Amino acid sequence: MKARTGYSTSLKQEFLKKWIKGIRIYSNFKKDMNILERKKAIKLSADLAIASTRNASTRWSRTLTANISKNETNKLFVEQIFSDSEVIKKEAPSRLMARSNRIASKKIWRRSHITQIKARKMGPYAVKASSIAKKLVKNRTKVLKSLVPGGENMDGISLIKETLDYIVSLRVQVDVMRRLASAAENSTRLGLSSKCSVHWLQGIFTVLDHWCAMVH
Amino acid sequence: MDMAGEDASIEPKIMSSQWQLNINNLTNTSIVINPTSNSNVESSACSSNSMADSICPPIWNQPVSGQSLGYCDMIVENNTSTSNTLGNGTSSIIPVRPNAILRESTFLRDFPVILPSSLPHLPADSGFIERAARFSCFGGGNFVDMMNPFRMSESLNPYTRDLASEGPLEVLAGKGSKSLPVMQTQTHEMNAIERSMEVPLPVEQGTEGSSIKNDKMIEHFPSSHDEAIFGIGLSAHEFAEAEFSGSGIQGELEDDAGESSAKELGSKKRKRTGQSNNGSRQAANETAMDHAEIQQQGYQNRASSKPCGKHDKPGSQGSDLPKEEYIHVRARRGQAINSHSLAERVRREKISERMKFLQDLVPGCSKVTGKAVMLDEIINYVQSLQRQVEFLSMKLSTVNPRLDFNIEGLLAKEPRAGPPSSLAFSSCVTMPYPPLHQSQTGIIQAVLPGLGSFSGPLQGSVNPQLTTVGGRFKESTSQVHCAWEDELCNIIQMGFTSNDHLNGQNFGGHLKSEL
Repeated sequence: MKARTGYSTSLKQEFLKKWIKGIRIYSNFKKDMNILERKKAIKLSADLAIASTRNASTRWSRTLTANISKNETNKLFVEQIFSDSEVIKKEAPSRLMARSNRIASKKIWRRSHITQIKARKMGPYAVKASSIAKKLVKNRTKVLKSLVPGGENMDGISLIKETLDYIVSLRVQVDVMRRLASAAENSTRLGLSSKCSVHWLQGIFTVLDHWCAMVH
Repeated sequence: MDMAGEDASIEPKIMSSQWQLNINNLTNTSIVINPTSNSNVESSACSSNSMADSICPPIWNQPVSGQSLGYCDMIVENNTSTSNTLGNGTSSIIPVRPNAILRESTFLRDFPVILPSSLPHLPADSGFIERAARFSCFGGGNFVDMMNPFRMSESLNPYTRDLASEGPLEVLAGKGSKSLPVMQTQTHEMNAIERSMEVPLPVEQGTEGSSIKNDKMIEHFPSSHDEAIFGIGLSAHEFAEAEFSGSGIQGELEDDAGESSAKELGSKKRKRTGQSNNGSRQAANETAMDHAEIQQQGYQNRASSKPCGKHDKPGSQGSDLPKEEYIHVRARRGQAINSHSLAERVRREKISERMKFLQDLVPGCSKVTGKAVMLDEIINYVQSLQRQVEFLSMKLSTVNPRLDFNIEGLLAKEPRAGPPSSLAFSSCVTMPYPPLHQSQTGIIQAVLPGLGSFSGPLQGSVNPQLTTVGGRFKESTSQVHCAWEDELCNIIQMGFTSNDHLNGQNFGGHLKSEL
């Protein structure tokens, strides 16, 4: 329990630091953002931060970073954030395609061969049942692949592994954001004036500046 | 703080309803499309409460797969961590669970409809019952012993293994937590056991501490029943192999560390581990993050050890131990020695092993059986997390910049450290901003079960940063900040230097009342 708390806590701290950094850089880029832009800034920074905690060791983190960098407007922002060059280019798409083709052809063989075996051993109903089950699983795997960034070309085993890691990171992200949001909400509700709402980001930055500085 | 608790509980309900709406493609677009409205909704407790309640019941009744249960678990978990008042939150969420469970059980019941027609011919095989019984022994094996690498020398001989006379039926009854017909559990049991045994072993290779090992083994073991329906969902020739997995299971066992002792043990050990599991399961479930870590190591280790770890057996077992390339896997009886099918089996076991980790991670998945259902849960969970991130980022974009005094609250690790610093806050900031000190305490209390503790490095570096804070505020607002900045200096210093010193302030009572 202790170990787990320590690990997740350090992960959260790391995420928070990077997130703050990202927000700050973004706001230096663009002053006076409206609410939607702010939201985009927050989300972008959060995604980049959580992806960078993995140091590009997982496929989803690399894909996430790459997807964000695809957008030209974000590219500069990303480069500034990752001035310490954590970003690694994605694998060459050709290699992925070849691998997926190989996997697909193997699957076709396997499927036909296995259907033969099954038809011999079991009755027709069992074959149908398991094929229905397989279809279900296949559909859901497809959906999962679309959810997890970079999951398109992965096989079942690594997909699940990536999903695990991705879920852990998402939880960290949600947890930190939730805490911050509830803290902000409490402060608002407890009667603070909205005098400073114009400089929203400044408000966040002061807090987070403290935090960063204290950490370092 | 009452309001804090309420809002914190309302927010997840709103979010859950939002999430449900998305899934069901309901046309309540005002919630789905416009997340900013949620903050408005939340601000009025009563209206949002009623709205959530009105939305939730129809959603729960719809045949969406059991994500609600999982999500509710998460909500409750988050609620406990972020707010002090749970009554409102949990009471509205708990009634949902029975519905979700009912749905899951109906879903499970659908499967038996398909299967029975295929089963009748199986029990006719006399060897089948034997093998099934054998597997119950295997399953009943003491996994702690299985993990012991020094028992590798014991050999698995299918013909000398004692068959448990009780068979799997009583063992399953002993478990008593599944509602499936026993017939099916027999067939699935074998698959389940072989998988469940396969699962802890590669993990073991990656883990360091034996305590972690034990947790994993015990934890994974009872989910063999969950895996029972894996056979339904999993690919292709599960059924065909059900007959053969009797002897084939030895192959799996031999593949990794010395699990041969498992064969000796009877069903009562299985029951024992089943009981001990309940206690450790919670602990195991709580170590989800560790599992993720360990699992990654486990995967790498397993991948590397697979080629070399499988030839431990000297191959003197008998006629049904074929040698094949460098992977000495005992084939299942009657099955062709085919590298493809063996590879397929290996792959399937890898998948099921990882599914088990996901089971721990995704809330509400511990009762779920079957790959398809679990994938569904996972999908829903990932979707909900992603939506939460969207929602929270939108919410944060609307936040009022008066977050300044949160820092100590956000950083405080323990409640013990929190109140003293909040007391310090309140004592200093009374004059210029009476509302502020309330907010500080509210904030601090809200985020107390928080992140790491930064109090160490804080003391030295606080002052330089405060000047920048003061500078920034001077940009944005008026002259009041001079006083504010000084107060801030004092506050923070006091907060950090007197973490353990409780000021006997009158505010103490006031602060507590806000919780």
